[in-house]
Amino acid sequence: MRQVRATFDAGRERRVCRVVDSVDLAGEWTPDLEFVIRVLSPSDREFTERLWDAGTTNVGWIESDELHVGDVVVPVAGKSQCLVHFREADRHHAIFLTNRCNSYCLMCSQPPTPQDDSWLVEQAIEIIRHIRTSPQAIGLTGGEPLLLRSGLRRILDSLSAHHPTTSIEVLTNGRLFSDEAFVHQMLDDLAARTSWLIPLYGHSDFLHDFVVQSPGAFDETVAGLLALQAREQPIQLRVVLIKPVLQVLPELCRFIAVNLPFLREVALMACEPTGFAMANREHCEVDLADWSGTITRATRELERRRVPVILMNTPLCALPSHLWPLAHKSISDWKNVYATECNGCAVRARCSGLFAWHDKGWKPSKIRPIEGAPR
Amino acid sequence: MRYESLPVPFRTRQLKDGNFVAISAAGDHAFVSADELLCLRSSPIQLPLQRLAELRARFLVGRESEPAGLVRLAKSRIAAKRETVLAGPSLHIIVPTLQCEHSCRYCQVSRSLDDGGYTMTEADLDAACSTIFQSPARTLTVEFQGGDPLLRFDLVRRAVLRILELNKGEGRRLRFVVASTLHQLTAEVCVFFKEHQVFLSTSIDGPASLHNKNRPTPTRNAYERTWAGVQLAREAMGHDAVSALMTTTREALNQPEAIVDEYVRLGFRDIFLRPLSAYGFAKRNQGHLAYSLEAFRTFYARGLARVLHWNRQGVALREVYAGVLLNKMLSTFDGGYVDLQSPTGAGLGALVYNYDGFVYPSDEARMLLETGDASLRLGKIGAPLAELLNSLVERDLIQASLTQFTPGCSDCAYNLFCAPNPVDSQAQFGTPFAPVHLTEHCRRHMSMFDDLFTQLHDADDWTLDLFYRWASPVAGAEA
Repeated sequence: MRQVRATFDAGRERRVCRVVDSVDLAGEWTPDLEFVIRVLSPSDREFTERLWDAGTTNVGWIESDELHVGDVVVPVAGKSQCLVHFREADRHHAIFLTNRCNSYCLMCSQPPTPQDDSWLVEQAIEIIRHIRTSPQAIGLTGGEPLLLRSGLRRILDSLSAHHPTTSIEVLTNGRLFSDEAFVHQMLDDLAARTSWLIPLYGHSDFLHDFVVQSPGAFDETVAGLLALQAREQPIQLRVVLIKPVLQVLPELCRFIAVNLPFLREVALMACEPTGFAMANREHCEVDLADWSGTITRATRELERRRVPVILMNTPLCALPSHLWPLAHKSISDWKNVYATECNGCAVRARCSGLFAWHDKGWKPSKIRPIEGAPR
Repeated sequence: MRYESLPVPFRTRQLKDGNFVAISAAGDHAFVSADELLCLRSSPIQLPLQRLAELRARFLVGRESEPAGLVRLAKSRIAAKRETVLAGPSLHIIVPTLQCEHSCRYCQVSRSLDDGGYTMTEADLDAACSTIFQSPARTLTVEFQGGDPLLRFDLVRRAVLRILELNKGEGRRLRFVVASTLHQLTAEVCVFFKEHQVFLSTSIDGPASLHNKNRPTPTRNAYERTWAGVQLAREAMGHDAVSALMTTTREALNQPEAIVDEYVRLGFRDIFLRPLSAYGFAKRNQGHLAYSLEAFRTFYARGLARVLHWNRQGVALREVYAGVLLNKMLSTFDGGYVDLQSPTGAGLGALVYNYDGFVYPSDEARMLLETGDASLRLGKIGAPLAELLNSLVERDLIQASLTQFTPGCSDCAYNLFCAPNPVDSQAQFGTPFAPVHLTEHCRRHMSMFDDLFTQLHDADDWTLDLFYRWASPVAGAEA
């Protein structure tokens, strides 16, 4: 999540606010939301103070040259910093719901913690209320969002109430959907336009359970996928390309295509070099170019049975050119960078680029510019 | 928890090269050596870890008690295999007339033009159209068979318009097919067909010499007139508005390549290498028309090889029979081929409304009538669909088609891909309940599945890609 330097009035600390310019406040103001006026000149701060004098309590000021109008932010208490939870101009949007998880994946980019963080549910609902322009799509991430149970359902209902046109993508391991009572709680009369992004790392229990470091997870995820299918929920299956997965990838894709042909699509994703992936580097660090034959065979297993497949987080120079049509620009704006080698690359404009922290971890392959006319 | 790897029940079939194809309860297959098979049957844990994972994923290795998710998965897989037949009759064949200009030697049923009394009444035709909509199937294929239905275009037209009218408010996906020699096709008829998206299916047995020998007409130019009809239809209605079927006669047996080449030359995208069926007039003339299963097997293998040859040259030509069987072997979703369903597709998947005013469970069943066997009548046209499907005849057909209760099928490796054909059994032995392994239907399909699994085992990536394309269910499955 973006973190920017900012100073703000003490009354805004820890509160979810929408960033607004003073000239636009009158048009946007409602009593049930919190606003921060972007200080562009000293008169903006004076304007805010006059509002306080007049008895307005839900408007403050913030000073930063890194904020945009419409940002949904939380000023951090006691620090000159502010978290940007939502920015209209971003290509990808996500709300972080919990840091708890019931799996413990080898390559987790967001290592779980056990502490109760259920306050994040209320914060998420506040963020949703403060978003000015409904985005086309928004992701809900964690941790494992299903652990919030009724909390997640409240978030989904709030999204569909405030942003009925937004499609929602929940990043989950799907395990709790193996419980029929939970399926009812989460999905009965659900109005939100939800799809589910669920990982699978093996075609047999011991393969998947090893990667997610959780005995029984494979069976629960399979049951969860079938439960979602029975409710006609759209599912994207996600496969992170670490070594133990690549070693079985074609057979895994065959299993997926034969047994889960109802999937909306399968995403094969390069690993994000952060979190547990750094600690389990011997399992997670691979050069995708070494595996291009495997990836080709795997996509073929899916395409033969007409299950759509895409590649994510895969720079084009790491792939053979026949796989380029499958590659997506998938890395969230705030963590997306390009290497110096990318200058002068003919296909940079349609390339995923790299995770910002590749320099502390590793690159998915040796990065080199593609020559020729832009394609 | 423990990751046990225990033997589970599955069935095998030995292929020519000595290897086995092992087929799981869910319908997955794996090619295994004799040594691996021994391991699978006794102590799978001795298999190399990656191979073990592979075979577990194909339901060929199990656990002491399978966990809930995998049990649900296996059930959903098996259910998908039976989905089409349980969705209600989707193929409705109307036989407006038995009259035909041809007098084909192997033809089961047709009557010459001056024979009276072989045409459906308008009242029966209208009643049949209504019965069709009693089926719950979302997709309805209405096929006009004969005789030659175009000799009574007035009846075809009446039925098409009536069905379209009845579909207002029903919103079913409709598909019309007219099976015809096309000799009577005119530009006006094409306009009507194009307007209402009626497809044509004709017979072309191969090169002109073979076709004209098989299908005598007074003017000895059946091929030329059918080809003229194909050209007219393509011009008026689009290239893919007309498809063709062939029937393998004894004269065809030594020229599969010429037959396939003819289909390529004529620009068809599908060819169906069909054996001669054992019914009707064909059965009576079996002495000089029949040939052995082995002879067909050789013919078919050569023909399929020729089809693959053309595909390698970049000519997209699908062999429909292989497509049907590969669908069973490779696809999670059943393509709905009527003759390989359990419970039977005869009646449950398809119904025939015959010119004589009665409803029959399949095209073959109404052909039996013409040799004097009326025993497969389900009831009169106009009877409610529920009554037809609850008739004693239909119950017998269903009973005789349940693979899990049929000796010979219950322990067959291919029993999730195949099924007895009780109508065939009736034709061959006079009862739907003949021992399955004696039927021509069983013997032919066993050998065809064997041969196709051998091909799969030996296939390169290019061939596999092609087989998977053929295997995916096609809209409006073949009858």
